[in-house]
Amino acid sequence: MSLLLYFIIVPLGGAFLLPIISRLRESLSDWVGNAITALLLYCSVYGVITASGKTVTYFVGGWRPIADIPVGINLVMDGLSGLMLLIVNIVALLVTLYSVNYMARYTDKGKYYTLFLLMVAGLNGVILSGDLFNLFVFLEITAIASYALVAFGIEDEELEASFKYQVLGGTASALILLGIAVFYQTTGTLNLADASRVIAGIGHTPTVLFAGVLFMAGFCLKAALIPFHAWLPDAHPAAPAPISAMLSGVVIKVLGVYPLCRLFFNVYGITPLIQDIFMVLGVVSIILGVFLALSQWDFKRLLAYHSISQIGYVVLGIGLGTPLGILGGLFHLINHSVFKSLLFLNAGSVVYATDTRELKELGGLQRKMPVTGATSQVASFSIAGLPPFNGFWSKLIIIVACVQAGQMLFAVLAVIGSILTLLSFLKVQRYVFFDALKEKWKNVREVPFLMCVSMIVFALLCIGMGLLLLPQISAVTLKPAADVLYTGLEYATKVLGG
Amino acid sequence: MNPLLYVIAVPFILGVLCFIPGKVRYIREAITFLGTAFGFTLSLLIFLDMPMEWSRFGSVLLKVDHLSGFTLLAAGFFTLFIALYSFRYMKDTLYPARYYGCILWTFAATAGALMANHLLLLLVFWGFLGITLYLLVLTGGDAAAPAARKSLAVIGGTDALMLLGIILIYQLSSTFQIDGISLHFNSLAAYTAFFTLLLGAFAKAGVMPMHTWIPDVSEHAPIPVTAFLPASLDKLLGIYLMIRMCFGMFAMNASVNLVLLIVGSITILASVSMALMQNDFRRLLAYCAISQVGYMVLGIGTGLALGLMAALFHMINHMLYKTCLFFTAGSVKQQTGSNSFADLGGLGRLMPWTFVSFLIAAFAVSGIPPLNGFVSKWMIYQSLLKLKDTGGSLWVIWLFAAMFGSGLTLASFMKLTHAVFLGTSPVKIVKAKIGESGFLIIFPMAFIAVLCVLFGIFAFSGPITLFLQPITAMLKPTISGVLPMPLYWSAGTATLLILAGLIIGFLIYLAGNLKNVREADSFTGGEELPVDTRVSGIGFYDTVRDLPVLGTLFKRAEAKWFDLYELGSNFAYSVGGLLKKAHTGLLNLYLLYILLGLIIFLILLMGR
Repeated sequence: MSLLLYFIIVPLGGAFLLPIISRLRESLSDWVGNAITALLLYCSVYGVITASGKTVTYFVGGWRPIADIPVGINLVMDGLSGLMLLIVNIVALLVTLYSVNYMARYTDKGKYYTLFLLMVAGLNGVILSGDLFNLFVFLEITAIASYALVAFGIEDEELEASFKYQVLGGTASALILLGIAVFYQTTGTLNLADASRVIAGIGHTPTVLFAGVLFMAGFCLKAALIPFHAWLPDAHPAAPAPISAMLSGVVIKVLGVYPLCRLFFNVYGITPLIQDIFMVLGVVSIILGVFLALSQWDFKRLLAYHSISQIGYVVLGIGLGTPLGILGGLFHLINHSVFKSLLFLNAGSVVYATDTRELKELGGLQRKMPVTGATSQVASFSIAGLPPFNGFWSKLIIIVACVQAGQMLFAVLAVIGSILTLLSFLKVQRYVFFDALKEKWKNVREVPFLMCVSMIVFALLCIGMGLLLLPQISAVTLKPAADVLYTGLEYATKVLGG
Repeated sequence: MNPLLYVIAVPFILGVLCFIPGKVRYIREAITFLGTAFGFTLSLLIFLDMPMEWSRFGSVLLKVDHLSGFTLLAAGFFTLFIALYSFRYMKDTLYPARYYGCILWTFAATAGALMANHLLLLLVFWGFLGITLYLLVLTGGDAAAPAARKSLAVIGGTDALMLLGIILIYQLSSTFQIDGISLHFNSLAAYTAFFTLLLGAFAKAGVMPMHTWIPDVSEHAPIPVTAFLPASLDKLLGIYLMIRMCFGMFAMNASVNLVLLIVGSITILASVSMALMQNDFRRLLAYCAISQVGYMVLGIGTGLALGLMAALFHMINHMLYKTCLFFTAGSVKQQTGSNSFADLGGLGRLMPWTFVSFLIAAFAVSGIPPLNGFVSKWMIYQSLLKLKDTGGSLWVIWLFAAMFGSGLTLASFMKLTHAVFLGTSPVKIVKAKIGESGFLIIFPMAFIAVLCVLFGIFAFSGPITLFLQPITAMLKPTISGVLPMPLYWSAGTATLLILAGLIIGFLIYLAGNLKNVREADSFTGGEELPVDTRVSGIGFYDTVRDLPVLGTLFKRAEAKWFDLYELGSNFAYSVGGLLKKAHTGLLNLYLLYILLGLIIFLILLMGR
């Protein structure tokens, strides 16, 4: 299906054209940026529906495998990639919509959209790549675009954050590249499906495992799991709000969690030891992340620490390795994309209206900014796991899966994490939106229309995403994605046939 | 469609309609009236038409039996009266959409929680109630923000624990159907499941130690909100869940009952003592409400049919008189603008309807015959006495707690009566020419006060036979059987005797004293007093503060030493602060963490 190629070439082409288009007229870049993300969303919905849970492979240049051995580059869309594409492009569209007004604060929207579309091209590329090296290339495209986007404000804070992000992100890339080198040296192939077969043949030899260690460290760094998390609370708050939403909402998942799952479930084949590592990483991130978040007084920094904690839930769920656990983990992944993006956009709106992120300086904004306030309440209840919002359902599934798998301790810790998350977001609500309105915010007004639209759509998603659990809808979205991971090594057969 | 769905869906949808922006007050009020009247009527019809159920996905999701039918009816009744009262009281609220929308949603979710036969469904409705409570408390304005935060933190936190308990129950009995669960305390998991659910019920009902949100909410939230949630519906839900657990899902044993009895006794005594020291109408009522739940927990803790019946009866009585009391507080607030004792006094003459309703409800809560509160307390005493038959002598302690608590309740209401309705009015009130509240305030208040009297006098022919005996028969508690009649308090005869006594007393008063009454100023020892000097209710019982042990305890309690929420958040903040020290922003440190992680992975994966 050549549709798969569009996910990469459309944003890439847009990124190259935008510097020229924006020279003609700056407002054109808004139109082009939004049109491209809208097109991508349309493609992903269309793609997911037509594939209906089956694995679709596209051989670039028509180089089909010979005797089941791939000779060219292939793009693969299975259930997991479909789900990721869908969520990435939904968030991307809503974020570009939000950027129209928000990015007017900064100069040169043309460059912003260029970098943004490069990032999206990279994300789609990572999701669709059928081989390890292309995955790495796209990962670097996203990473480099996001280094630039974090620094987009070019003030002291942004530049410092971007620098730290580059150093630690570069470390991750180096680890991953080294891993790829070792991996290629051992298995003689970079194609994921092919490698999966090779490893099934030779087993987990020390060099294969060594590559695995490097991958795990590299991708955990990208996913910001504790103890690899330290870059995130600096990088995510410093970026412009729409970019923070992308970074926390989708980038850490696509660059971190997705490759981890792909490699260790579909290529290496999951082992109890790796599962244990995932679960422990997850629980440690949940607990330490939420404690760190609770004591923050910078709105976006608090949100950033919560990203670490919530990714912990995702990894815990997936690490359980049971069908229910994987389903819950993936469900939490997309839920987190929605509510955390919304929360960062809320924070952005507050910054847009007041120019500050300090919780203690804000207060009483609910009456002045009703849309921002109400949507942030929805998002807060979602992340805190209150029914009937989406976060409740995914946490519920993860905790049920923990108990069923006999991991009582993890279940208890997940519940404690959830309570602390609630505590922390009640704090945000109180200090930002309730309490007494300070004199200096007397003239604050609600943000422009398009920003409101974007936040409202996100809020509606938070309310409605529980419906994904209905059997009919789950059968084309969550279930195929969870099956990809649960069936593990069947990946090779599905991609290459035979 | 099944009527059980309508009772949830219609108020919910009408609640959504309330959120449509618009400035016309009457439309929202009309919608609210429609929704609550519909809810009440349908609950009544459902009550008359029980048992009913609704199944989907191969399991019975909603089910109405005697217990849920009765509680649903009560919820419908109180929601209607709260709505009526709000039309007047809340007419100037800044948040009409949120207020009326959430009232309707609260009823919908309460109905859902009471009818749910699936534990997860119960949890969804239950959790949603936390959100509506939060939003309703926030309509109290800026000052209510900390209280709202605290209430959702306590309730949402315990909901998360309940989730754990529910999953454990599912593990143990492999069903989520409430009517299919029957667990014995034979494993740690069963105990954990029981106590996590119990904490959820405690937080809703406001039993110690999960009670701390109630006084704060009562002080800052609008009065109808307090009367609606902490004082009535949340109690109803908490006690409902406790009964479902203790007389259905779990086979109770002596030690678990003992825990309930201890918690109940402590709740009664500790919070009524706190009530004594309050100097705010609403805070005093709030502490008193907490103390009353203690009685219900005691009743349930006996594990006897009589205790169960007493607990249910006390719950419904408590809803009646406490709603009435909060309504009188609202009436006072409406007319004087304050609920603080410092600003009140001598209102009895100025607001006669409010005063009479207040007196009836205050006598009821203090357990004075023949009012309803006395009957249910009497039944609780009797059930505690019955514990004598099952061995042990601890029943003396529980009985002492219950009776002594009742005395202290009366004491605290004497303080309240004096401070608000008797004594001399402060200058401000005299000048302001305070009058009685409007009809929409008086009617719900007086109507409920009348019910307090009727439920007392006709306790046995009325509510007990109609509502409570079928429930007790259905739940088949551990020791059931017909109750010996002497245990019953013969309300009719007693009422007649009391009335006769009152009349004779009045006659004597008329005959002897009426002409000889002498009015004089208070004796001040010859000192000249400023004009505005008066005896306000504030100093009452303050001597307790100087007592050696008790005084210290009070001071600690007021400094929030026993507040789980405060303790928990202080702990969390200090852990967070500690962890923050490990995040200095230095890149070398962060790289060190990464190296550490890498080494751990290497050892784990390649160490074989």
